[in-house]
Amino acid sequence: MALETPPATQERDHTRAALAELLLALADDEFVTGYANSEWTGIAPILEEDIAFSSLAQDELGHARLFYELLAELRGGAVSPDEIAYDRPPEGFRNAQLAERPRGDWAYSVSRQFLYDTADYVRLECLLGSRYTPLAQAAASVIREERYHLLHAHTWLARLAAGDTARERQHAAFTALWPDALGLFEPLPGEAALVESGIQPAPSAALCQRWLEQIEPMLRQLGLPWPFAQRAAGWEPLLAPHYGGRAGRHSREFAQLYDTITSVRRLEPGAQW
Amino acid sequence: MTTGHANDTARAEAFKQHIAAGGKVEASDWMPGEYRHALIRFIEMHANSELMGVLPEREWIMRAPTLRRKLALTAKVQDEVGHAQLLYRLAEDLGKPRAQMMDDLLAGRTKFHNVFHYPTQSWADVGVIAWLVDAAAILSQKALLGTSYAPYARTMQRICWEESFHIKHGYDIVVTLAGGTAAQRALLQDALNRWWGPLMQMHGPPTPPEHDRDLTLWRIKTRGNEDLRRDFIATYVPRVWELGLALPDPALRRADNGSWEYSPPDWAELRTVVGNHGPRSAERLAFRRLNYEQGAWVRETMAGEQARTQTCGI
Repeated sequence: MALETPPATQERDHTRAALAELLLALADDEFVTGYANSEWTGIAPILEEDIAFSSLAQDELGHARLFYELLAELRGGAVSPDEIAYDRPPEGFRNAQLAERPRGDWAYSVSRQFLYDTADYVRLECLLGSRYTPLAQAAASVIREERYHLLHAHTWLARLAAGDTARERQHAAFTALWPDALGLFEPLPGEAALVESGIQPAPSAALCQRWLEQIEPMLRQLGLPWPFAQRAAGWEPLLAPHYGGRAGRHSREFAQLYDTITSVRRLEPGAQW
Repeated sequence: MTTGHANDTARAEAFKQHIAAGGKVEASDWMPGEYRHALIRFIEMHANSELMGVLPEREWIMRAPTLRRKLALTAKVQDEVGHAQLLYRLAEDLGKPRAQMMDDLLAGRTKFHNVFHYPTQSWADVGVIAWLVDAAAILSQKALLGTSYAPYARTMQRICWEESFHIKHGYDIVVTLAGGTAAQRALLQDALNRWWGPLMQMHGPPTPPEHDRDLTLWRIKTRGNEDLRRDFIATYVPRVWELGLALPDPALRRADNGSWEYSPPDWAELRTVVGNHGPRSAERLAFRRLNYEQGAWVRETMAGEQARTQTCGI
């Protein structure tokens, strides 16, 4: 690890394990989101958007691969990024549950993309300052592409808000999405060590506030559901976040998705594909 | 009226001579109605095939077994959607609205290529489709680079360039499976056995030139069906055999004079299949229809947005 001052061994092992969990959470969010978005490939409502959503999916899978590679390096190169990604039980996944929901209708998918990519952007901005240099470098490379994702997300946010049917669907989507979206900021078990070592420069709770501050004006201006109360400490959710993803607890829908994703690979474990 | 009619006939004759001399036609040029209709029919079927062609492969995007395969397959299917879009735009420029083309496709009034009416049963199908179906398609598509309709030729340049990557992606999957475990080789052989018949039918029956007006009169395409099929066999059969794989045609052999002998493709099957009575025709059309209907509100939202923008004079 490229930390400036190496911590004592036991502490170092603990931090290292926490770093591995962080990389896995970053990779899995992108991996599962990439799969979810690629479900629109070939069947999106308009051809132009079919192409755009496929590009988003490819970017996300590319980012997932990058984070799996960092994790593979951290583990000493004994396992490949593919083995990390595919060859583990469902409870080995650290993605937030937001990523694993079925694609729903178009309003659900583009609203999820808005919430996910705006949150991801805040997280990546924070990681630009990571004291783990490979992670800071990866965040810098990923964030360049994420700017286009934001552009796409904002376009659809405004577009749906301006149509009648679209607006109703958008409201329903946000209502369904909020608890899952808050789950993106579920702290990892080893977060204290990550923050203390400067690997993750800010705690998840602070990132969540930063994210809410950024999107609040847009969403309120468009009259979209905003289930938060303003307190001295920031926005307090009026609903329970769906946590569990960062600890490997997933929805029933994920079990199905997992079966599909790994179905070919499980035919011949260990084979080249 | 008579003078106008005579003028049109003279114009049409001059147009045919221009084409016969290898001349090109642009979208804004005058063209006989018959040429325009032939172009729309040809390009629309091409576009439909790209659009329906994404469905068999799309089923495997979620099941792609490695990160690299997943990325490559998503990109490939995305390319095909992009090709459909480019081709539908060509047909739109010729005067047929996109919504009308979608309606005709979904109602079964227009056609798409035979190979996209069959099921995909394993990951090996993904390799065989990307390698051999795309290889057969690229032969037809390369023959369109010399088409008389210049905008089509320009579009085909881009499409052919992208298709050449698909062939590499498909070949890579096939080679990996061929060099894999016994079970993987069995999957591959099974896929080849199933796809060979449709592949042999894909370029269509041999047609006497005088009956192939797209070829001889309008020069929309530049090579005949049998010519393309023979080229495909001569190039790809040796490559399949090199991988230690078999092809399900006992008559298939290279004769002493270098030409290839093979069993006549099943033209009755081809007619049935492209008439939307193939093993997956109804299912694929129904799936396409369902998704099109479910996306109707999105297209209406966008149409509303365009109308508002135009009213505001932006």
